[in-house]
Order: sequence, then structure tokens, then C-alpha cells
Amino acid sequence: MLLPFIFLILLAGGAVLAAQSSINGRLGAKTGVIESAWLTFIMGAVLTFLLMFFFEPAHDATLFSVPKWQLTGALFGVVYMLAIVFAVPRVGTAAATVAVISGQLLMSLLIDHFGWLDNAVRPLDGSRYLAMALLIGAIGLIYLSHQQRHRRMVNQPG
Amino acid sequence: MQHALILIGVLIAGMGLSVEAGLLGPLGEQVGHLSATLSIFMVGALLLSLALVFTPNRQLGTLFKQPRWLLTGGILGPVYVIVLTLATPLVGVGMTMVGILCGQVAASVAIDHFGWLGSEQRRVDGYRVGALAMILAALWLM
Repeated sequence: MLLPFIFLILLAGGAVLAAQSSINGRLGAKTGVIESAWLTFIMGAVLTFLLMFFFEPAHDATLFSVPKWQLTGALFGVVYMLAIVFAVPRVGTAAATVAVISGQLLMSLLIDHFGWLDNAVRPLDGSRYLAMALLIGAIGLIYLSHQQRHRRMVNQPG
Repeated sequence: MQHALILIGVLIAGMGLSVEAGLLGPLGEQVGHLSATLSIFMVGALLLSLALVFTPNRQLGTLFKQPRWLLTGGILGPVYVIVLTLATPLVGVGMTMVGILCGQVAASVAIDHFGWLGSEQRRVDGYRVGALAMILAALWLM
């Protein structure tokens, strides 16, 4: 009984991510890419700080005691946010989402294959190569969908 | 052509996101997931604040002239983190990621198809259905 309920919540969590991309892209188109990304990070920082301040149980390690390289994730987060805000008004939410997800999955295959970031090595095998090919194919189809739409709009303006 | 370049850029940004997740998971185990998430938003906000100071023609004022719902993007990120931290111990990382990704792709196609949230309409076509099927198949193979 609990499992379908959790899965529904997970679906909603994913939907929230798509909605976030769409909203940020729209805001970015109206105000500017940096402005939109900035507001997102400020709001996120304010909310997470409040949550951490009141709800986080105490841990032995703190952000100030861990090795510094573990704190570099934000660099990737900022690049991602800028890319999304720039891309969504130009290519649409679905195309941007498919590209992001394919990138994520391709990279996680590479991380596993080489054992980067202190992960156990899980070499690429036949089914994982096939998965990579499918992901690249998905991007290709999204691109074709855009081309097709573009052609329709040129043929029948309005 | 420009369209293809944008897609490749977003693909690379997505690869970075995987690295971020790879760093964030172990960090969260050590210092707490909310603290780890705070480090991302805090460092990101500070870096972008610096960038903002040197951006030409910045339009910070126009942010607050927008309809309020357009400013909620920053609230949705932490919601996602909470869902992730609550669900992962209950159903495992694999199931969690599959659930999140399915919701994400389905919602993004629906947003485009119906033109929700003020976005331009892009209808579902054969290519899009094919792309969805390929992502699902790739997930299953991994």
C-alpha cells in the first residue's frame, strides 16, 4: 500500500523539477538569464537554511570540516541552472529535460566505468553500451521533432 | 543548427549535474542532507551575486514586477530535495531515480503539449513518443 503512494510522490517530485525548469526559463526570458538563476539560488539558500537550522539533526562533521573538494558541487549546479534558463525559452521544456537527463545518465555510466569520485568500478557491458546508444538516439529524435515543427511552421504560417 | 548546439550544451550541463549528485550524496551522509544542499544553494547564490555585479544591463528591478508565481522557481528546488531524502531510505536509490525521471519527462512533455506555465505550445508527435520510449528502455537497461 505504501509503495504506490511513495511512487506517486516521486513522480510529483520529478514533475516539480520540470515545472521549475519551465518557470525559470520563462522568468529568464523576461528579465535575463543571470537574474533568474540568481533569484533561484537565493530563494533556495534561504529556504534550505531555515530547514537546516530547525530540522537537521546534529552530525559529527560540518561543512567547514570536510575536505574542500567535496564542496565543489555548486559549480556544476550553477552551470546547469544557467544552461536551463537559457535553453528552455529557445527549445522548450521537454527538449531541455531530455537533454539534461541523457547527459546525467551518460555521465553516470562513465563515472561507474572509470570509478570516478571514489565510486566502485562497474565497467561498461553490452546492455550499458546499448543504453548509451538509446540516450543519444533520444536526443536525436527530439531534434528531429523540432525540425519537423519548424518545417510545418514555414509551410503554414500561423 | 543553433538548436542542436543548445541541446549539446544542455547535455554537457546534465553531465555536470551527475558529478554534482556524486559529490552531494556522500557529503550529505557526513554533514546531513539539508546542510549539503545548503552548501550548493549558498555557494551558487554567492557566485551568481558576484556575476550579477559585473553583468552589463542587468535588470534586477524587473524581477519584482513579474507575476508572483514566476518567482517560485527557487522554492521548488528544496521541495525536490526533501522528496529525495524522504524516499531514498524507503525504496532505494534506483527506484527513487526511476520515479523522479519518469515524473520529470512526463511533466515536461505535458507542459510543452498544453503550453502550461506560459510556455510556447509544442505538441506531442511521433518523435517525442519515440524519445520517451528510448529513455525508458535505457533506464531499464542500466
